[in-house]
Amino acid sequence: MAVYKRGYHRYQGPIRGRWARIMVLPRFAWRRLLQQRLVVLLLVVSMIWPLLCAIYLYLGNNIDLLKGMNIGSELLGFIQGNNMFFLVFMNVQAVFAVFLAALTGPGCIAPDLANNALPLYFSRPITRTEYALCRLGTLAGLLSIITWIPGLILFAMQSAMADPPWFSEHWRIGAGLFLGFLLWIILVSLVALAGSAYVKMKVVAGGLVFGFFFILSGASGIINLVFRSQWGYVVNPAWITRRIWYAMLELEPPAGPGALLCFCILAVGIILLTLILKRKLRPVEVIR
Amino acid sequence: MTPPVVELENLKVRFGRREILHDISRRLGTTGEGKAIGLLGPNGAGKSTLILTLLGFHKPAAGHARVLGFDCQRQVREVRARIGYMPETEAYVADMTAVTTLRLMAELSGLPARMALEKSHEALFHVGLGEARYRELRTYSLGMKQMAKLAQAIVHGPELLILDEPTNGLDPSARQRMLRLVREMKEKQKMNVLLCSHLLRDVEQVCDEVVIMNEGKIVHECDLEAERRSNKCFVELEITGEDAGLRNALADIRAEGVTEGNGRWRIVLEPGSEIDALWELLARQNLLVRKLTHRRDTLEEIFLKAVGHIAHTPGEHNQTRG
Repeated sequence: MAVYKRGYHRYQGPIRGRWARIMVLPRFAWRRLLQQRLVVLLLVVSMIWPLLCAIYLYLGNNIDLLKGMNIGSELLGFIQGNNMFFLVFMNVQAVFAVFLAALTGPGCIAPDLANNALPLYFSRPITRTEYALCRLGTLAGLLSIITWIPGLILFAMQSAMADPPWFSEHWRIGAGLFLGFLLWIILVSLVALAGSAYVKMKVVAGGLVFGFFFILSGASGIINLVFRSQWGYVVNPAWITRRIWYAMLELEPPAGPGALLCFCILAVGIILLTLILKRKLRPVEVIR
Repeated sequence: MTPPVVELENLKVRFGRREILHDISRRLGTTGEGKAIGLLGPNGAGKSTLILTLLGFHKPAAGHARVLGFDCQRQVREVRARIGYMPETEAYVADMTAVTTLRLMAELSGLPARMALEKSHEALFHVGLGEARYRELRTYSLGMKQMAKLAQAIVHGPELLILDEPTNGLDPSARQRMLRLVREMKEKQKMNVLLCSHLLRDVEQVCDEVVIMNEGKIVHECDLEAERRSNKCFVELEITGEDAGLRNALADIRAEGVTEGNGRWRIVLEPGSEIDALWELLARQNLLVRKLTHRRDTLEEIFLKAVGHIAHTPGEHNQTRG
């Protein structure tokens, strides 16, 4: 019978479990985000670099093919799937991750706050923490598509194409790549979500994400110049994260604060961003 | 034993140093009966705070609040799974059609995806938004948004429907429609309803019980059904002349009353007494009637007395003054 003829009847059937309910929010959010052309376009553009890297790795592991193409020996020596190659890959994809987070992150929370939708969510069996984790998961899922997933595919490609001892000698690259990107995803997503919760306007929140990374990067450069030291880097989240990546990928570190200090600073930053989110994600505003 | 719909036990809620709800203990309604409880009170009485505490949005400073037998803090998931909440303020999910929003809400409440979609259509048709269900909620008029809020509150078939000022901003016909829908929810669907409003007429039309709050306390509770059954007739009177003997004379026509001074009276006629008898009495007392209004509802009297605007309800024996 057609719905309009049948009328309303109270639902009294089975209820799904907690995790199935929690996954509803990311599912709806992904569907909504992937309906936006700009998001899809950025995702496609973000896949160009991994594709080029895959070709690079393929050529690097098929020297005979390059020789046949009369490519010089200098270039042959340069093409190597090593730690530095994966660091460059991570650096490029990290920038795309910032762009994608700035584009999609503000749309996750700001509209809910602006349109007072939180009481609707929180009157359902979902807590504030779960809501925040769902939003974080939405962004993390999207950013994973352009960061650690292609990264691990490249790592697997290299492991498969290189000589057998390569994997046992370089497995730390894979672990570093995954954990390094995970750290970056958490940071970028939290910045996007906290910014979006703080200003409630999508455009401004997007600008805030760029501001957080690019302005702080500029500020750290100025501090370094003025004080002729390298301690300015501690206010540069991108540099701090990259410093940790150097340690994870076992590369010669750049001059500046150590990896442990950088990790502590990053942890403090993540805690502060979480506190901002916790403060802003309330179903009702309490005037004390 | 069937648990009450709402059970408050020494409940205190504080915002900072300010105590909003003061040590409330009360049992309201009985589960499964499909009754409506009206929550009345002047602005700042603590009605919304109480509702938000029941939803688990505010943490009690002391005491407990239970809904349908579940603790609002420790078993918040169980409580929320059984509640449908319609907030007072405008609330919607941006960039979503009505049907998608309702589906999202139904799925969050635990309905399987297919059933959630089906119930979303049902609920939207039921509140009269069937034709507009594929429109984004932000394009709706205020009245339509109110209906959409009701639809999202009922989409998952809750046991308790909490409505915070549901008729806010509605024109008279939309208001009647909203009240009719709420009545249907309790009578046909057997949902318990907790209706928070400052509009006495809305509460009177829908509710079976009334709880009146003032300054963070429950100051009165009454069974409207019993009051209706008593069929008393309330008269507001403005007269000119010497009215000192009127109070005693009212007893002749089985009526009681209180004067508010300046010839203003509130009179209760017992069931069976006719208004004509009052006219005749006033004529016999040589009193000139400037204004006479009569009605059979009682809620305004009860409310005004409960919040302290009048000292006594006429008809209360041994307490009238005249």
